[in-house]
Amino acid sequence: MKRFQKNIKLYIGLVACALATSCAPEIDNAKPNENTGSSKPDFSKYIAIGNSLTAGFADGGLYLEGQQLAFPVLIAEKMKAHGGGEFKSPFFIESQSNGSGYIRLKALVNGQPVTEPVTDKLAVRGLSPNNTPLYTKYTEEVNNLGVPGMRLDMTEIQGLGTVKGNPYFERLLTEQAAMTSYRAFATSKNHTFFSFSLGNNDALGYATNGGVQKPDGTSTLTDINTFSNNLTNFITDLTTNGRKGVIATIPDVSAVPFLTTVTRQALLQAATTASQAQGGPAVTALFIATKAGARPATDKDMFVLPFASSGLLGKPNDQKIPYGLHPNNPIESQYVLDEAEVAEVKTRIDEYNKKILEVAKSRDLAVADIHAFLNKVKNGYVYNGIVISNKYITGNVFSLDGVHLTPMGYAIMANIFIDAINAKYGTQLDKVDAMQYRGVKMP
Amino acid sequence: MKKLLLSFLLASPVLLFAQGSQVNTQGIKALGMAGAGSALFVDESSIFYNPGALVKMDHNAISAGASAVMYRSAFKEVNSTQQYDTKFQITPPFSVFATFGPKDTWWKAGLGVYTPFGGAVDWGQDWPGKYELNHLQMRAIYIQPTLSFKITDNFSVGGGFVYNLGFVDLSRSLPTFDANGNPGRAELSGVGTGTGYNVGVHYNLENEFAISLSYRSKVVTKLKDGDAKFTVPDALAASFPTTTFEAELPLPASFNIGVSFPISERLDIAADGTFIGYDIYKSLTFDYKDNTPTLEDTYQPKKYQKAFSGKIGLNYKASDKLALRTGAGYVASPVSAQYVYAETPDNNRVMASLGFTYMLSDKFDLTGAYTFQRILERTVTNAVTGLNGTFKTNIHAPGISLTYKW
Repeated sequence: MKRFQKNIKLYIGLVACALATSCAPEIDNAKPNENTGSSKPDFSKYIAIGNSLTAGFADGGLYLEGQQLAFPVLIAEKMKAHGGGEFKSPFFIESQSNGSGYIRLKALVNGQPVTEPVTDKLAVRGLSPNNTPLYTKYTEEVNNLGVPGMRLDMTEIQGLGTVKGNPYFERLLTEQAAMTSYRAFATSKNHTFFSFSLGNNDALGYATNGGVQKPDGTSTLTDINTFSNNLTNFITDLTTNGRKGVIATIPDVSAVPFLTTVTRQALLQAATTASQAQGGPAVTALFIATKAGARPATDKDMFVLPFASSGLLGKPNDQKIPYGLHPNNPIESQYVLDEAEVAEVKTRIDEYNKKILEVAKSRDLAVADIHAFLNKVKNGYVYNGIVISNKYITGNVFSLDGVHLTPMGYAIMANIFIDAINAKYGTQLDKVDAMQYRGVKMP
Repeated sequence: MKKLLLSFLLASPVLLFAQGSQVNTQGIKALGMAGAGSALFVDESSIFYNPGALVKMDHNAISAGASAVMYRSAFKEVNSTQQYDTKFQITPPFSVFATFGPKDTWWKAGLGVYTPFGGAVDWGQDWPGKYELNHLQMRAIYIQPTLSFKITDNFSVGGGFVYNLGFVDLSRSLPTFDANGNPGRAELSGVGTGTGYNVGVHYNLENEFAISLSYRSKVVTKLKDGDAKFTVPDALAASFPTTTFEAELPLPASFNIGVSFPISERLDIAADGTFIGYDIYKSLTFDYKDNTPTLEDTYQPKKYQKAFSGKIGLNYKASDKLALRTGAGYVASPVSAQYVYAETPDNNRVMASLGFTYMLSDKFDLTGAYTFQRILERTVTNAVTGLNGTFKTNIHAPGISLTYKW
């Protein structure tokens, strides 16, 4: 008894310690997936091939925060516990962390978002012969090969990496390698595993330019043959010696806020408000230019996001005809993806995806179904207590440019890739906790 | 240009006094038998367990007890290996029971102040369900004046009026992001009041078999002028004004049957079954005083079911001065899988207890007990928030009480 009293502090200490630590419950991890028949992939050198989404582009620009939270970076982090090696990205340096520059939310005026460009700490090193910015070079070996603007119809072009080509590709190449095609560049890395997410821009470029094809080739609607050939060539090179990977499908363009936010109804209401303020009548019709001539707009026509702040609607021309409110001064084609163009793009994307699935199946690759995911976002759903939708700003997953994602959006996208890899290869890559990542920043 | 309506879904803040928060520690003797003993123990704690038994006390007494409830929950998102634990904290439910009145007569009066519902969980601001809940702290304090009467020597009845003071304090993250990318936060706190009653009958056959029936009414607690405070980016400040709210919390009724009888001269066995009317808890509505297009009143379905708990325990008189106890029990949860919220990640639970009473003198008794409860692991997808993962909870509750008799 004396001894007990002597040691009582020790006993109390032990009990307190036990209560504070060991009494917490432990939840076991999920059991490994059943063997899927595929051999386990080797994650020791993972490379990510893709466009702006792969690069971490957001808010209309490529900047350090976006690069650091790009979905391949998040995936690579989870691969580390399963044999994954170091994953390098062509990060902008801290003093140039705003990279290409981007837009941020300046204020909400009557609930209406007002954005402003971020122009400090840029990584612009000069101008190209075309007077477009060139960015600080990053020519060390990298694993994130995402190049904003990269299109599948450009993967074979030699010279795309010159100062006259794509500046994001150009910054990754040494002078000597400037004539390398993107496919040759991406397939020479001795990778062991890859993610492939190209093809969005082959349709999105066209759609976001209102179905108008610019001479620079960035808004061409790629034909299915070119798409198929380039895809097959690329995947063939990536899968030599039985190497594994994951390939993403292409989302429906009508799912992005860039095209869903500005509706005909909203424009009519705005025009009516403006008209009535000057004692005019309500505006009941909008007119748009289409390939078949000018016609009244319907609710099936989609307007691009920048049109909202362009200040064009209702502006009289030299003949005093208000812009967009009369067939003789219709809303220009590059601001509208009209019904026929929407259908055209949809059909083409379905063809692309069919080809992607075919190639994935023939090479036994995992498929990250981003198309299905964006359709889910389009309908809106609740995830861990918050709304995920394609609503501009409040939908949480789309950044201010209405096309690219927020860190939260990229984290959810990373999980789609992870789920696809796990399902195909029977691996157990950990899920990313998407709730640790932000939506749109507000002032 | 038309306004782009900025509507942030303000999913309803969660709040309830649920089974998950209910650890019955009102009587430390019963706690030592996992909650059984409403028929066996005829003492001042009968004010809570069965007011009908109170008059059978052959003395008066005052007792004060407290326990340290340690509610430890863990969560793991489906397909994740990262486990999130609630912060370690101790909730101290307490009880004071006092009896008054002449001895060996046909009536006795008593007063109980106790905490039948209460709990605290703190998941923090960095877990996957942070937009559902950061932390919740709540306590219901019942104040119950009681009268008990003998009808015959063996049969007695009693009842008490219950006045409830309910305290609540909770927070959750909001999906609004400031210039640094940090989410916003909603903090709500308030005090509510409600009334109800507690009645019971007790019958015993000599000193052998005893049966206890008791009924505690529901207590609808109304929160008025609770404080609601929001931390959001400046651009949204006008949409989230600091305001007040009203809410109504129905605390459920319960019907209890207890029996006890001796197995041997020194050993008694007691068993209790409790039916809890949690099905009154259908939804929770928050009525904010100042509504804006973004801050609307909220409604959250709860759809609780009726619940049942069964407890059985042994009381062993080791000596004239020392009694030892043990017990075990099972609780069928009122919460359906799709309505499990982080506030009380409930499921069916098992529990086991140990306890003792030591007579320090003729006047003083010291009672201690320790109960361990395990809320069984359950993997759920919440129908409202979509949170998809596995919850598991351990509850440790040591308790102690001191009784003065005269």
